[in-house]
Amino acid sequence: MSGARPARPRPRLETAAVPPPAPERTGDAGAVPFLLDFLPLQGERDTRLARFYERLKAGRLSTTRCRRDGTIAWPPRTACPRCHAAELDWVDLPSTGTLYAFSAVLGGAPLGMEAEVPFAVGLVDLDGVPLRLFGRVVGRPWTELAVGEPVAVESYSTPDGRVYYRFRAGASR
Amino acid sequence: MTGRGVAIVGGACTDFGVRPLTWAELAQEAGAALFSAVPGLRAEDVDSLFVGAAMPERFAFQSHVAPLAAEQMGLRPRRLLQRTELACASGQSAIRSAYAAIASGLSDIAVAVGVEKMNLPSMAEANTSMACVMDRPWDGPAGATAPPFFAMVAQRHMLEHGTTAEQLAAVSEKNHRLANTNPHAQFFAKRFSREKLLGLPIVAPPLRLGDCSSMTDGAAAVVLVADEFLRRFPGPVAWVRGSGQYSDFHNLANAGSLTDWVGMKLAAREALRQAKVDVGELDLAELHDCFTISEIVEYEALGLCPPGGGGRWAADGNSELGGTLPVNLRGGLLGCGHPLGATGIAQAVEVYEQFASRVPAARQVRDPRWALVHNLSGSANVHSLMVYERGEAS
Ligand SMILES: [Zn+2]
Repeated sequence: MSGARPARPRPRLETAAVPPPAPERTGDAGAVPFLLDFLPLQGERDTRLARFYERLKAGRLSTTRCRRDGTIAWPPRTACPRCHAAELDWVDLPSTGTLYAFSAVLGGAPLGMEAEVPFAVGLVDLDGVPLRLFGRVVGRPWTELAVGEPVAVESYSTPDGRVYYRFRAGASR
Repeated sequence: MTGRGVAIVGGACTDFGVRPLTWAELAQEAGAALFSAVPGLRAEDVDSLFVGAAMPERFAFQSHVAPLAAEQMGLRPRRLLQRTELACASGQSAIRSAYAAIASGLSDIAVAVGVEKMNLPSMAEANTSMACVMDRPWDGPAGATAPPFFAMVAQRHMLEHGTTAEQLAAVSEKNHRLANTNPHAQFFAKRFSREKLLGLPIVAPPLRLGDCSSMTDGAAAVVLVADEFLRRFPGPVAWVRGSGQYSDFHNLANAGSLTDWVGMKLAAREALRQAKVDVGELDLAELHDCFTISEIVEYEALGLCPPGGGGRWAADGNSELGGTLPVNLRGGLLGCGHPLGATGIAQAVEVYEQFASRVPAARQVRDPRWALVHNLSGSANVHSLMVYERGEAS
């Protein structure tokens, strides 16, 4: 296990309602056509959650929290799933967690991911918040991963300028 | 329950497997098989058609498949015509929609057909299509598909309950063996011992090839009829007595326990409550064995064994013919293959044929009265169940 958990992180607040300047459309130059590409379009013209990707580009994995009832939702929302209020704030999520379960894709990968096979995926309990996120696990081969081990959250960029998050296991155990 | 009584009066399956034909040709084959299996059925009496199809846009580059299926099957629906899509449960959705339509009086005689063409020239493209069942922008980019998700279910089940690879193989061996009684099955006439299964390649650890259902082309169809029209179809019938569904998440982050399928418990409770029957009174069950671990967790969700005890329950033979509750006698998804939209219909065909004593003796339950059918879809985030009771039309 990951040992002592850090104290609940103090969320950095940012009002979701204030849009940043609209960037150019992103991500239509990917390796596979848009409708066969799982990585979403991330710009202001594509999604009301463009802020999520902006923040992720700066290394901050975040989601939305309802200003009325405090609900932290995953994935981030434009309306609270509990009270349906639209007044949501962006909050940073912890950058560390614990591997709850994992497996690996050894074959049968979707288009655009074949070159990455074999790759590990897992569910990670983020430290200090009740969120268990799914994602790619990098850092060591799946054969050397263990349930309960600590992992770090990191962001990465694709060649066409889009961004996503993944988990990194320690170099050695 | 309110509304009119609704019963299945017959059904048919095409061969399941890697088939050298198109989506439309599968629909046509299912239609021909249905009319041959149900002698009293006349095309002009079928007022409604429900078409279970999970992703013809992806696998056949074809949308608007309901009228296509109608044309291929020689049907001209004049009341209700629609496609039902619920991924792996699309077929059961078609049956439930026909049931609701007839019970409410909007339809008198309806056909539910399920069709899926899954084998494509490009396996990677097919895998991409399967992966869009998950939450595309949030689970998809990491490479989420069904095998790694159910592999994590198996990993947690092994960790929490001591379930073993041998117990998984016991489920696979049972369903592949039973598929040898079913000439329509993808793995008909193919033998898999537990030893052989345990030596197959790992697909998504800890799941091996024999733990996973296949990409399958296939179709199946049933006829549902209102009680007042049953005299046109003398013989055994399968009354729809209960129906239950539950869904409480889509994104994998919101799955909760991987090994305790609360949604299935709730959906089963509802379906059994409507049918006024206890799980102990069931004579057979069709449970969604997309993966071996699924069937094990489903035993537990139905309360057939203690939580965590599903692996041992299977290995001890409880789900065999003659056991506590025979499960997946036609061979299940593991033995028959899993053409998404057709699976739920093929399960209902098995129930009907069991009630009619028309299956080979090697898998025939003696005098069955109650049957339960379960489909999960996606990452087990939807559970759909139906309960049938044997009856007789005269
Ligand atoms: Zn709220």
